[in-house]
Amino acid sequence: MDKKLGVYLCSGCSLGESLDMEKLVKVAQKEYKAPVCRVHPFLCGAEGVAQIRKDLEEGTVNTAVIAGCSPRVKTAAFSFDPATVIMERVNLREHVAWCQKPKDEDTQMMAEDYLRMGIVKAQKSEPLAPVSEAISKTILVVGGGVAGMTAALESAAAGYEVTLVEKQAQLGGFVGTLKSRFPQTPPYTELSADGMAEKIQAVTYHPKITVLTSAKIVKTEGQPGMFDVRVEVEGGSKSIRVGSIIMATGWKPYDATKLGHLGYGLSPDVVTNVEFERMAASGAIARPSDGKPPQSVLFIQCAGSRDKEHLPYCSSVCCMATLKHAEYLHAQNADAKAYIIYKDMRTPGQYEKYYAKAQNHPATFLTKGEVASVREGEGGSLVVEVKDTLLGGAVQIPADMVVLATGMVPNSADGEAIRQLHDAEAKVLRNESDTQRQEAEKKVAELKQHEGTEILHLTYRQGPDLPVLRYGFPDSHFVCFPYETRRTGIYAAGTVRAPMDSSHAAEDALGAAMKAIQSVELASKGQAVHPRAGDLSFPEFFLQRCTQCKRCTEECPFGTLDEDAKGTPKPNPYRCRRCGICMGACPERIISFKNYSVDMIASMIKAIEVPEEDEEKPRVLVFMCENDAYPALDIAGMNHAQYDPSVRIIPLRCLGSMNIVWIADALSGGIDGIMLIGCKYGDDYQCHFAKGSELANRRLENVKETLTRLQLESERIQVTQLAINEYGKLPVLINDFMDRIREMGPNPYKGF
Amino acid sequence: MAEAMTIRPDVGFIKDVLKSGGGDLKKCYQCATCSVVCNLSPEQSPFPRKQMIEAQWGLKDRLLADPAIWLCHNCGDCTSRCPRGAKPGEVMGALRNQAIQHFAAPGFLGRAVSSPKTWPLLFVPGALVFGALALWAPKEVTEPREFANVFPLHVLEPLFFLISGLVLLAFAVGLARFVKALRSAGANGAILAGLIPAFVEILAHKRFKECGKEKNRYWGHLLTLWGFAGLAFMGTVVGIGSMVGIMHTPLPFWDPAMPVESILKLFANACAAVILVGGLILLGDRVLNEEKRRTTTYFDWFFLLTIVGVVFTGILSEVLRLGEAVTAMYAIYFVHLVLIFALFVYAPYSKFAHMLYRTVAMAAMGKR
Repeated sequence: MDKKLGVYLCSGCSLGESLDMEKLVKVAQKEYKAPVCRVHPFLCGAEGVAQIRKDLEEGTVNTAVIAGCSPRVKTAAFSFDPATVIMERVNLREHVAWCQKPKDEDTQMMAEDYLRMGIVKAQKSEPLAPVSEAISKTILVVGGGVAGMTAALESAAAGYEVTLVEKQAQLGGFVGTLKSRFPQTPPYTELSADGMAEKIQAVTYHPKITVLTSAKIVKTEGQPGMFDVRVEVEGGSKSIRVGSIIMATGWKPYDATKLGHLGYGLSPDVVTNVEFERMAASGAIARPSDGKPPQSVLFIQCAGSRDKEHLPYCSSVCCMATLKHAEYLHAQNADAKAYIIYKDMRTPGQYEKYYAKAQNHPATFLTKGEVASVREGEGGSLVVEVKDTLLGGAVQIPADMVVLATGMVPNSADGEAIRQLHDAEAKVLRNESDTQRQEAEKKVAELKQHEGTEILHLTYRQGPDLPVLRYGFPDSHFVCFPYETRRTGIYAAGTVRAPMDSSHAAEDALGAAMKAIQSVELASKGQAVHPRAGDLSFPEFFLQRCTQCKRCTEECPFGTLDEDAKGTPKPNPYRCRRCGICMGACPERIISFKNYSVDMIASMIKAIEVPEEDEEKPRVLVFMCENDAYPALDIAGMNHAQYDPSVRIIPLRCLGSMNIVWIADALSGGIDGIMLIGCKYGDDYQCHFAKGSELANRRLENVKETLTRLQLESERIQVTQLAINEYGKLPVLINDFMDRIREMGPNPYKGF
Repeated sequence: MAEAMTIRPDVGFIKDVLKSGGGDLKKCYQCATCSVVCNLSPEQSPFPRKQMIEAQWGLKDRLLADPAIWLCHNCGDCTSRCPRGAKPGEVMGALRNQAIQHFAAPGFLGRAVSSPKTWPLLFVPGALVFGALALWAPKEVTEPREFANVFPLHVLEPLFFLISGLVLLAFAVGLARFVKALRSAGANGAILAGLIPAFVEILAHKRFKECGKEKNRYWGHLLTLWGFAGLAFMGTVVGIGSMVGIMHTPLPFWDPAMPVESILKLFANACAAVILVGGLILLGDRVLNEEKRRTTTYFDWFFLLTIVGVVFTGILSEVLRLGEAVTAMYAIYFVHLVLIFALFVYAPYSKFAHMLYRTVAMAAMGKR
């Protein structure tokens, strides 16, 4: 596009009092020859916006650089067609005027640099042409339990075609097999009929829902808006095209054979809560060993839950289930004793009312305690020894039956582990060298349990299923981005996402249905989904220069890129979240977006005026994640927190898009230090792209080498993790870093 | 490690506690707010959190041998702070009720007295005895009229000494059982040596003072106890005095010729007034406070109404005698005697017994 640059400076919001607008105009006109440069005291007002629109419509401007407030505000006022207009916003308010001394030389230099960087960026940008392909808006729901059926009904109610795939012959899932559900409605004291029959009927007869039972997914390929799913059903298989997928595959009980220390396997009278439920649902509660109704039942809570050796988490439903089971027992025999040994009773919210009711029975006995042993006693009964009880010390309790309240394990498959397993197996077959083979064999043994666990059978290069996080749940960040998984267009709902009860699962399904709908709608406009919802840009690959190093295909957190046999990336644009992590990964710098590229950022770095060494004005570059750190700095600005004027901020889509070449460019250009501020990573990561900040950190390990080669102190680069609520820390971080840089003295490459 | 105790919950006991005032027992979820707010709870062995779970689990033997249930003075601080409405204070009361019944000798009387179903029957023996006395005892007419004209002293006095003897025997058996239980549960304090400090503490009502919630009860209970002690002392002295013939009842109100008797008479009247005031405070508390009225059990009412009834009818008969209202005077005195009979005969089985059990328990616990 032939760029016609227009620079618009706003002097409102105290910018005019703080900065010399004339000098800024000079930068635009003299240095960048902007044919149009206007200063307006209220640019976001009707008159200011009208002026910009007039210039655009008259064709005198097609590249607008708007210098004023943060790009995070006034987005509605400054919104132009991205297909014809390039717009770049320069943050002179939150990042300059509001956090620096007014009418100061350093403040002015800062504003001028930001204007230069903005203009350069705009000049390097190209307009965005939306891609458009035929997008299917059908939603595939995998799993016909409470969550799956609710997701299907909700999506259908919103007007979308739904295909529901269920492995079993009937719908209903786990809840469908229950004798009764614990209370769902006020006053939360009565067990309710399961209510599943109505739901199954509603799903079965809904005109927009196609139900496939006794069905298994054997292959899922494609991308959001055009997933092609092959389903095996009785008497053949069929292919369906869907737009997005809700995975509601539920849970399975924790393997009780691992709970020998709690007596499982010792006697047939030690059963799990699920087995007890089945017994109650199919008729009378009877001791498996002799078929007699038990006179006493001891329930062990957290059996293998909240236990480092087994499931470290709480499954959130077992306490309620056990109280329900005590009620079953008392319905059969009011004098039968129900002992409940708990770590903590967890009956959140209104469920407390059921706890209060259930414990009110004279023959229900509760105590906190640790089960020390379960052994066989006299007359075929069992004796449970419990330590650390509230009764004071250890006690032995004889009981006819013991019920282990086991927790939930998600019905998911760790796609990443499966891929590693397959890679290792292939290596073993190739039999290249002894050490390699041994290593691969070890890996195969370690990951063997993942074999055959596939559910979706994705044809993705990064593995056939969703990558899981801690404890095997395929969720993304559980607080910030529920339902998101690391496969775009595939959302997890219900107990496969996190342990929860059935009413929570139904609510969860609604949330996931919203996400799935959003996904197909955005895909139909060629826009990105969360977190860059609405983004039209796509990564473009200049494949002639690709060296098939596979970094991009391996590092993409969302499995966007597949590979051909040689390892050349095959993009699937609709899977892409536009974070730019591939761009940061590429050593050949062949991956670019129309409005975000390695060259663009490098040019912005070059646009910074680095003062001579004798001026004693250091310059520090800050690469800042635009999801958390950048808004945090905006908040610091709104609070008028002052910090050193020597820093120059460059926002990045994700810290993971940071390309090492920029570090080298900056340091060889005389920049004295570099800060990288991104989201927290690790188990409780806050990175909006799951792995970006972690990858950036890993890449920096290599940078140390570069620094040594340049004979520079490695302390000139600092990586910091910051949460959005830590805005108060930012000015301190910046000032402390500047102090250290001043101590180290100027970059010896200055002026070269 | 010693063999862990085997738990065998006594569901019948739980149901008894639920019925006798501890109806909310099972709501307890062991947060221990009760033990924390209780001013009487000793730091080393706090109550009533532990007693609550033992009661929930029906550990009857442990609980009844636990002196801590007697250290509770039912001030209600725990009940009002309990986040779950389990009313620990009421549960402790129900446990004391159970303990009195459990140790009572003979046991059937223990059950009869604590059962609301039998209450009219409880007054039948007294009514029969005194009815027979009024009908058939030899009469001797004096002017002005005396109670002895209808209820001759030479019958009444031996009768009451006999009753007292029996009551003391029943108490002795009950307390012996209690002490045995305490000993087997590990309380090894010197009970006899502990009695003196326990008496001092009880007479001073130190524990009642520490109750946070109800200040009236301090005065109500103090006055009732002191008045009762005074009357018991007086009754014994005058009873023995008249039996050995050195005193003649009714004692003169004020006769300079008989200074000792006059002083005793005035003292007895003062005691009656004190006990009446105390009893009315306690009664008023339970009647006027809706919450307390609801939690007051039959066991409480029986004892409180009997003792207030005794004092009230006693004063009333005296007034009627002084006013020479002959018929009414004998009728009310008859009621008075029946109530006294009930108060004393059922003492080891009614709430009355708390006086002795608590004293022994406090002695057994030793110094706080």
